Amino acid sequence: MERTVLLKSPYVASEGRIIESRFLTKEEKYFKIALKGGKLLDFVPGQFVMVAIPGAGEAPISISSSPSQVGYFEIVVRKVGTFTSAIHMLEEGDMIGIRGPFGSGFPVRMLEGNDMLFIAGGLGIIPLRSLINYVIDNRRDYGKVSILLGCKSPENLLFSDELDEWQQRLDVNLACTVDRAAPDWDGNVGLITSLIPGVTLDSHMTYAIVVGPPVMYKYVLTELVKKEVPESQIYVSFERHMKCGVGHCGHCQMGSLYCCKEGPVFNYAKIKDNIEAL
Amino acid sequence: MEQYLILFKNDFDDFVERLAKIQKLVAPVKRGSKSFAFDEVTAAEDVSLNYIPTILPPKKYFMPQNETIVEYEKKQNKWEAILYSEAITLFGVHTCDLAGIQCLNLVFSDRPNDVHYIIRKKRILIIGLECNDYCDEYATCGLMDNHNANGGYDLLMTELEDRFVIHVNTVDGEELMGKLAMVKPADAESMTMLNKMRNKKREVFQPEIDIERKELKPLFEESFQAEVWDSIHEKCLSCGNCTNVCPTCYCYDVEDEIDLDFNKGKMVRKWDSCQSRPFAMISGGENFRPERGGRQRHRYMRKFNYPFEKYNRYFCTGCGRCSRTCMAKINLKETIETLIEEKK
Amino acid sequence: MKRKTVAFFDFTCCEGCQLQVANFGEELLDILAAIDVVMFREVMSEKSDEYDVAIIEGSITTPHDVERIKEIRETATTVIALGSCASIGGINGMKNSFKLEDVQSYVYGEDGKNYFETIPTMAVHQVVDVDYFVHGCPIYPPEFVKILKYALQGLPYTVKDEAVCVECKLNENECMYEKGLTCLGPITKAGCNSWCINYGNICYGCRGMVKETTKNASIDVIKKYDIPMDWIMGKFDMYNKATESEEKK
Repeated sequence: MERTVLLKSPYVASEGRIIESRFLTKEEKYFKIALKGGKLLDFVPGQFVMVAIPGAGEAPISISSSPSQVGYFEIVVRKVGTFTSAIHMLEEGDMIGIRGPFGSGFPVRMLEGNDMLFIAGGLGIIPLRSLINYVIDNRRDYGKVSILLGCKSPENLLFSDELDEWQQRLDVNLACTVDRAAPDWDGNVGLITSLIPGVTLDSHMTYAIVVGPPVMYKYVLTELVKKEVPESQIYVSFERHMKCGVGHCGHCQMGSLYCCKEGPVFNYAKIKDNIEAL
Repeated sequence: MEQYLILFKNDFDDFVERLAKIQKLVAPVKRGSKSFAFDEVTAAEDVSLNYIPTILPPKKYFMPQNETIVEYEKKQNKWEAILYSEAITLFGVHTCDLAGIQCLNLVFSDRPNDVHYIIRKKRILIIGLECNDYCDEYATCGLMDNHNANGGYDLLMTELEDRFVIHVNTVDGEELMGKLAMVKPADAESMTMLNKMRNKKREVFQPEIDIERKELKPLFEESFQAEVWDSIHEKCLSCGNCTNVCPTCYCYDVEDEIDLDFNKGKMVRKWDSCQSRPFAMISGGENFRPERGGRQRHRYMRKFNYPFEKYNRYFCTGCGRCSRTCMAKINLKETIETLIEEKK
Repeated sequence: MKRKTVAFFDFTCCEGCQLQVANFGEELLDILAAIDVVMFREVMSEKSDEYDVAIIEGSITTPHDVERIKEIRETATTVIALGSCASIGGINGMKNSFKLEDVQSYVYGEDGKNYFETIPTMAVHQVVDVDYFVHGCPIYPPEFVKILKYALQGLPYTVKDEAVCVECKLNENECMYEKGLTCLGPITKAGCNSWCINYGNICYGCRGMVKETTKNASIDVIKKYDIPMDWIMGKFDMYNKATESEEKK
């Protein structure tokens, strides 16, 4: 057997270094990553990277920071399995492999000039934060900005400092709800769908961006349709099992679509009849 | 100009021996009591010319079951994409399997193309072997139009009484035959024999199922909610045999294998099956294809529906392996026939 | 990485899985470079009451076993069940098909039976928490090394939930059913690289069952190949009796 080093393989990883890390909650850890030699990760909000850790393998991880922040990017990972346990052990200075960015991101240009309604459930805020911060960084290019957030309990809230900042901005409307809370919680309690009827929106110039756990979509999308947001103005982002990131390995396929390549961001109108998607 | 050669069967032993000396020669051989497999050969006596489709299709030479694609060194944070390959002559590939390789070529040439596959492919010379008759009752090559070769080979051999007629399809094939003195230009008699056999084949090979090929795509497209998937759900053992033996299934897993020094290691690409329960499961535990019926439907859609949208071509070659290997007797012909019935 | 101290323990078993480890050959040197073995009765006389990783061979079959495994669990940070007896109950589980009194008098005789207490056979995880499972009778050495690497890195490892058939096909073996033999490959958890079938034997189901139950399908197959039901149940019970009713690990 002849051994050949392939420079153009889609499996070539770039060298990434963790330049900052901290636990956001008991289960979720945040990492700030820089590529070797200041190399730019040229991505749009909604895309993901494949992160490799020797001994633990590779996994698809959403980019959580906005591309307007240069010199690094951020990810947030919940500990659920082998790979995520391995990344939770890593700290500032540790090295990882990075491939990507992969997938279709959110159509940021097309969204310009429109009102934005962001809806995030649970970990959905991690990828959606990339787009929210991008929109805030280019605030003048967009209309009204509303953010609806939902999670299990106040202890699970991610990016609480940033949420406070968003809350205080005049040009952002933020509403938050938790499934259950201790008596000292003075915010909303209830499912994220309960926040939607209260939103006032000009449906024809509103783009709704929905990211959350699989069970959430059906209910949120029903509420949005009730609000007369056109289906073609709703974008969703899905989580699937992925092994390659380039539309070959088959794990992420939903019907004929490869979530890693044609997604993870999809236009609702184009995907609503795909029975393996929703 | 189109080129045909002949090889008399008397010279076949010599032919195989010479081929094996030029580079690694792989051909169908007997495996067990009733089965066959592609394996390395050095002499004609090892080769089974009359064989039903091998347990695994020749895709194993194009994308091996276990393939190192990355080697790393943790301390240096060094990652290299790697290919281990060798030059092979793949002999005796039936026309259904030629079609299978053509399908894989399309998939791995999709952007970003898989250079591991592409370079390995370039190092394999393919000698096809025409089927003059059906291998068994599982084949649907007539329906899928793969009983004749539609390209995809360097050389194609057709067995005719005392000789083989060889069609030369590529310069690489021509060059190889130029090295073998026992191979002669085809004469008029041989060409007549070839034409006669091909005419006979037209009668032998007929669509095995009562449907036009172009109707298969709409049939499957409209069958997401068909009842047949429920009955297949009850039958299926989820063993993954059907996908592992399929010449056009290419799904894979990538596993990390670190050495015991916890520094050097590699990433290995391994065949994976959409029929196994955890295939579409994410680490949080959510399974996006939990039902065996849904997984079987996905397999069929990946043969008759999705690739037609993308490549304008069916990814079922008609080789019959999935039906032949299924212990639960899930049969491709019966599935399609049931779908046709349901639609009526 | 700091080298972890490792101790081997045997309960009800034949110690064959530890023998597999002892027989590693050259690779054992690489393993010994990665760990610090403080107790391994088959190969050394030293003993220790302190260890990070406890590797357990054998099933739990006496009240004394229960106490002993609990103590080990309290000492060790990591517990690995080694081989079928420990991971699923294994061969010893056949005892659970009989009344305990009958078993006692059969083994120890009417006079001796009262001297030896016994309980139904249990896999280790049926008594204490187990962090890693190395299935097989005996263990498949490459899988042991693989799981050991995860354990030493402190990472969880899940045995892939697919049938032995998957690996068997990839090894391009002729199907045992084609040869007219009955094989438990279709319902047995993979990970052994279809070791037995590669060498011409059938699969006896020593690694435990895959999670997904395909009862109707299995019955269909058994009928189609005209296999007597009690015969296949006998094969199934050979390794799986102790853990048949629990949610499969």
